Parts: sequence; C-alpha cells; structure tokens
Amino acid sequence: MEEDEFIGEKTFQRHCAEFIKHSQQIGDSWEWRPSKDCSDGYMCKIHFQIKNGSVMSHLGASTHGQTCLPMEEAFELPLDDCEVIETAAASEVIKYEYHVLYSCSYQVPVLYFRASFLDGRPLTLKDIWEGVHECYKTRLLQGPWDTITQQEHPILGQPFFVLHPCKTNEFMTPVLKNSQKINKNVNYITSWLSIVGPVVGLNLPLSYAKATSQDERNVD
Amino acid sequence: MTDDKDVLRDVWFGRIPTCFTLCQDEITEREAEPYYLLLPRVSYLTLVTDKVKKHFQKVMRQEDISEIWFEYEGTPLKWHYPIGLLFDLLASSSALPWNITVHFKSFPEKDLLHCPSKDAIEAHFMSCMKEADALKHKSQVINEMQKKDHKQLWMGLQNDRFDQFWAINRKLMEYPAEENGFRYIPFRIYQTTTERPFIQKLFRPVAADGQLHTLGDLLKEVCPSAVDPEDGEKKNQVMIHGIEPMLETPLQWLSEHLSYPDNFLHISIIPQPTD
Repeated sequence: MEEDEFIGEKTFQRHCAEFIKHSQQIGDSWEWRPSKDCSDGYMCKIHFQIKNGSVMSHLGASTHGQTCLPMEEAFELPLDDCEVIETAAASEVIKYEYHVLYSCSYQVPVLYFRASFLDGRPLTLKDIWEGVHECYKTRLLQGPWDTITQQEHPILGQPFFVLHPCKTNEFMTPVLKNSQKINKNVNYITSWLSIVGPVVGLNLPLSYAKATSQDERNVD
Repeated sequence: MTDDKDVLRDVWFGRIPTCFTLCQDEITEREAEPYYLLLPRVSYLTLVTDKVKKHFQKVMRQEDISEIWFEYEGTPLKWHYPIGLLFDLLASSSALPWNITVHFKSFPEKDLLHCPSKDAIEAHFMSCMKEADALKHKSQVINEMQKKDHKQLWMGLQNDRFDQFWAINRKLMEYPAEENGFRYIPFRIYQTTTERPFIQKLFRPVAADGQLHTLGDLLKEVCPSAVDPEDGEKKNQVMIHGIEPMLETPLQWLSEHLSYPDNFLHISIIPQPTD
C-alpha cells in the first residue's frame, strides 16, 4: 500500500469481491453490478427499514429480523394483503439502496444511497439529514452541506445522496496504520463501511471483520 | 501572458441569448409572456434565473407552484452542469435564442437533483472545486486556503465578479516549477449517446517521455470512439465553451485557460451537423 493509504481501483475491486463473498455466506445481500460500457462497476445492496414515528431505527439486523430482507420482491409480495398495508402505514417502511463506488479523484470508495417510501415517493435531503443517528447529528449540523448532499450517480446518471469522500483518507489512515502495526490483514471495505455506514443507517454485522482475520489464518 | 489573460475573460463573459417559455401544461391565470435573458456560460441555471421564476410566478396561483425546473426539447436540464456545457451538448447546432421550457410541476425525480436553495448550488460548486484540486494538487491548495477564500470563489461566481474570483482561483492554477503541469487534469467528457453521464479518468498532462499531452492524446486514450480517422469523414465535434479547440492544443494549457470555474474541463462530443 502507498504511504498515503489510498487504494487503487484494482485493489478496490478485489476488496469488494472479498466482501461480497462473505456477504453471500451470511445471507447479506451485497452484490457487484458491472457497468454496461466500461470495466468498472459498483457494489450494491437494497435494504428495507421501518421508520417508527420520527425516530429512525438503527438497530442491527439481528434484533430487527423484519428489516433485513435481501430482495425487493420479498417485501412486495405480501403487500396484496390488506393487513400488511395497515401495518406498513402505521410504521412507514423505507427502501434504502446503497451503492459503493470507486472515486478515481480521491482514490477511495464512496457511499451513494437513495431512499424512498414503498409508493416510490423519494425521501428529501432534509429527511435524510433528520434521519441521521443522534450521535452523528452534532457533527452533521456543523456542516450539513459538506457532509451529505444529493449528487449525480457517476455511472447511472441519476440523483443519489452521497457521503462526501474528501475526509475519507484522513480517518482511514490511522485505521490501516493500526492494523498494520498489529499485523492484522484488514479488508478496506469492511473497515471503511463500518465507519461511514452507521451514519446513514447501514450497519455491518461483526462477522465481516472476523471473516478477514480467519481467511488470513487459513493462508498462514 | 497578456494574451492568455484575455482568454480567461472571454471564457468568463461568454453569454447565451435564451428565451424562456412556460410549459403549456402549467395552469396560469393570465397568459404567460416568454422571458428573454443572456445566460452566463460559466454559471448555473438555478443561480441566474430568479427573474425568470418571478416572471412566471406572477401569472400563476400559489398552489400551482412547486420547485422550478427547465427542459430543452424533452430533455430535463441538469442545473448542476454549467450552462455552457448544457448548451454545447444539447443545443449548439440549433438556432439562437436557445428555447428553454419552464416547469413548476411534475419534477423529474429520476433525472434531476433538487435545488432547494442557493446553498445546494454552493455545495455542489465547492465539491467540484475540491475534487479538481484532489486531482491537481492532492487537495493541498484548496485545504491550505482559508474559509473566506472559499467564500470569495463562490461569491465571485455568484455575483459575476471576474477579478474577485480569479484573485483566489489563480492559486488553484499553479504547479511546482520542476513539474510541467498538474498531477492529473480534471476533465469530464460528455456524450448524449451513453447512459453514463460522462467519462472521467486519471490523465496526466505530461507523458512519460516529457512530451506535453494534447487534447487529441486525451481523446484517443479515454474516448477513442470520438476521434475521427485523419483521412475519414468528420463525424464529431469536440467542443469546449462553444468552440472546437485544435486537437494539438496541450491539455495543461486548456486546463489553465478553458476550465469552468469549478476547475474542470467540461468537453462535449457532439455529432457533426449535417447541413
């Protein structure tokens, strides 16, 4: 790795593949979508979450079994049933679509996402800012326009929210330095996503971190 | 250098005569007259159309007004692209004035970013600037600036003040004397024929053998389909700020002189007009 702890596009793709491999093992729904016209692509996951009143649920999938459905269809099927519609309306369901892309300018991964209600109505930037977990809110309010904004998805050309990447290198450097010091092989995506994901309701099961160290043991 | 400074002014003060017409589907109380405006090429639609908005809102009822958006021949216009880029890419072969349709309902959520306030434009502009400097100087120049310098760049653009803007922007155009240019050239290449909105890759201004890379070198490397064979028919126009720069032009020079205020070279590849 370079002195600055940037990651190259090839390394990014390799770490994504590793990450997706574990995702499949534990039934998480991350997948790789290649772009049509180029050698690049992005890692993506669709996730449904129940919004209770104005407070967003940020509990992990283990305590909220119903919030973590891998496929869009899985949730849409039972909606023919009136009872389910009532339940869904009482505590609104929000569909989150998370995309991890590589930024060649910053040479780091970037988290894009969009969110909508089940009728397709998209959440606004204001909704997203308000939904940010309490423990990150003070930081967000210091500079919301430098943190999460709506931007054009560089591959799809559609509006997405984005967590700004310009500080990524700053917080990843100590993480990677530390893991080098204790001689632990870390997956960049796992470390990075476990830091930035929770800001926007994306929680990573702990097993991702364990998986990497196990792989390492197998190699040794 | 005096000649080159003139280029900066010419780019900054480029204008496009435009006629705004209200979409026929909008409900009005009186007939809406078209509104004419000279649009600055380097600015953003939502930054310079307050008057357009006011003009049409006068003939509408409050309850029929939601977020304004613009369209040209069926294509929603992305406010986050500079005006000059939108024109070059979508309308450069049609007659002036540029006919833009104004909408206040049915916001195309799948195509356009929302622009709730000027803050959204400022955030977008500054994030482009930061990205450009990440490419040019590993973010060192923009990070060493003070907050008031960032504000001055934005205010310079917002108020159309060339001197105010360039007093700060010139620092972003510097590079170490021992190098022959920036680390990488911030550029985006647009074509209307692709789903991907633009091509952006890492490209250095100087080749390994010390030769300066040209616009032609860039196109050959990242967008070969756009380069016409030398003996063949000219199929494409490569356009920046409404002109077709010679393909032999050094990319570093283009980056310093023909970049938009966001510090990117926005290059349009458009089919050669047939007439």
